[in-house]
Amino acid sequence: MEFMTTVSRIKKGVFLIGVFLSCAVMLGWADSWEDIRRESAKIKSVSAHFSQEKHLQILSRPIVSKGLFYFQTPDSVRWEYISPIRSVLLMQKGNIRRYTVGSRGLVEDKGGSLESMQIVLQEISRWSTGQFTANENFSASLKGGRGAQIILTPKENGLSSMISRIVITLSPDRPGVIKSVKITETEGNYTLFEFADVQINGKISESLFREVG
Amino acid sequence: MDQTVLPDIIKRCHQPFVDTPYRFIHAIEVTLPGGGSGTVVGVTVIDTASEMIHSVILTIEGFVLFDAQYGKEMRVNRAVPPFNAKDFAEHLMEDVRLILVTPQGRLSRAGVLEDGSTICRYHRDSKKIVDVIIHQDNSWEIGLYSNSYETIRRVNASSIKNSIPTLVKLTAFDAWDYSLLLSLIRAEPVSTEAIQLHPRESLDGE
Repeated sequence: MEFMTTVSRIKKGVFLIGVFLSCAVMLGWADSWEDIRRESAKIKSVSAHFSQEKHLQILSRPIVSKGLFYFQTPDSVRWEYISPIRSVLLMQKGNIRRYTVGSRGLVEDKGGSLESMQIVLQEISRWSTGQFTANENFSASLKGGRGAQIILTPKENGLSSMISRIVITLSPDRPGVIKSVKITETEGNYTLFEFADVQINGKISESLFREVG
Repeated sequence: MDQTVLPDIIKRCHQPFVDTPYRFIHAIEVTLPGGGSGTVVGVTVIDTASEMIHSVILTIEGFVLFDAQYGKEMRVNRAVPPFNAKDFAEHLMEDVRLILVTPQGRLSRAGVLEDGSTICRYHRDSKKIVDVIIHQDNSWEIGLYSNSYETIRRVNASSIKNSIPTLVKLTAFDAWDYSLLLSLIRAEPVSTEAIQLHPRESLDGE
């Protein structure tokens, strides 16, 4: 079932995106990696609205998706698309599920793999403690100052065939909050995530990470 | 049958097909034998005059899995495994053509069915037959058959809005045996100069 392999890759992509964003939102305004580690330690939960703009050379205007994002330490994530396609990724205690609205309603996507889960958990544990520089998948560089940026480039060819680089831009005014994440695949093809209404360390119901509805 | 209505029937049979350059964005629900399923986003730009099709498949999260252009020859710009499988691009373009391009070949029959639907039968070549059926509610179906009338593909289009179906289901009955449910996200005409140039207007009211 070749498509199952693809679904698995898609899921891996979803997981990585979720990991990037969950950990990126945790980042504080910073001039150094030490600042990042210090700020990361203060974050216990994050909730935010997000917009996703997909830019392609084939498009004259981007495909815009909107959704909600929740994160709770140590490893709970809800990454939910509201439009144009409703889809929910739930990750909690090492258990990862993805649901998408289709002709049969909200249905769990089939084809997940244990390998993908392991990747996520590894990434979460590293990034949530600000360990960008020790990441086996990405090399990280930091441009400090107001509106600091973290630039991630893949280390291995497999990942670089999907992503050429990721730029995480921090909020210039609000430590601990990011402004956007830009994931570039190839020239002219990129995805821009922008966050709004970011709440840090608010109370998030545990059921949000367990239940789709 | 009154032969004077034949031109109207044939014209109605052309209703599903685009005759100007267009860009379509769909959510595509893929279902495989055994219950496997997944959802991707498909972007298709088509210009029937120049016989150019540009197709991109991406994940909901935006990763491009497949990008290919079909014109005088196939050009695959990107294909993440298994979309790099032999013949995948050709099969994909065949499906796109079946849904969007007026069938090639000889129109052998045209008429009206008992339920009032309009039907046209095309002999695409010596091996393939295409039936186009337009129902009275303007929904339509397209059947691709072998010359022994075994079904190869079936397309059902419904929820027509501004002459464009918001739901299209393609079912494959051959060795691939899959189904695709396409839900329209956006449709917009594009200029004739180039397949990637700016749209003149949007139909989705965004």
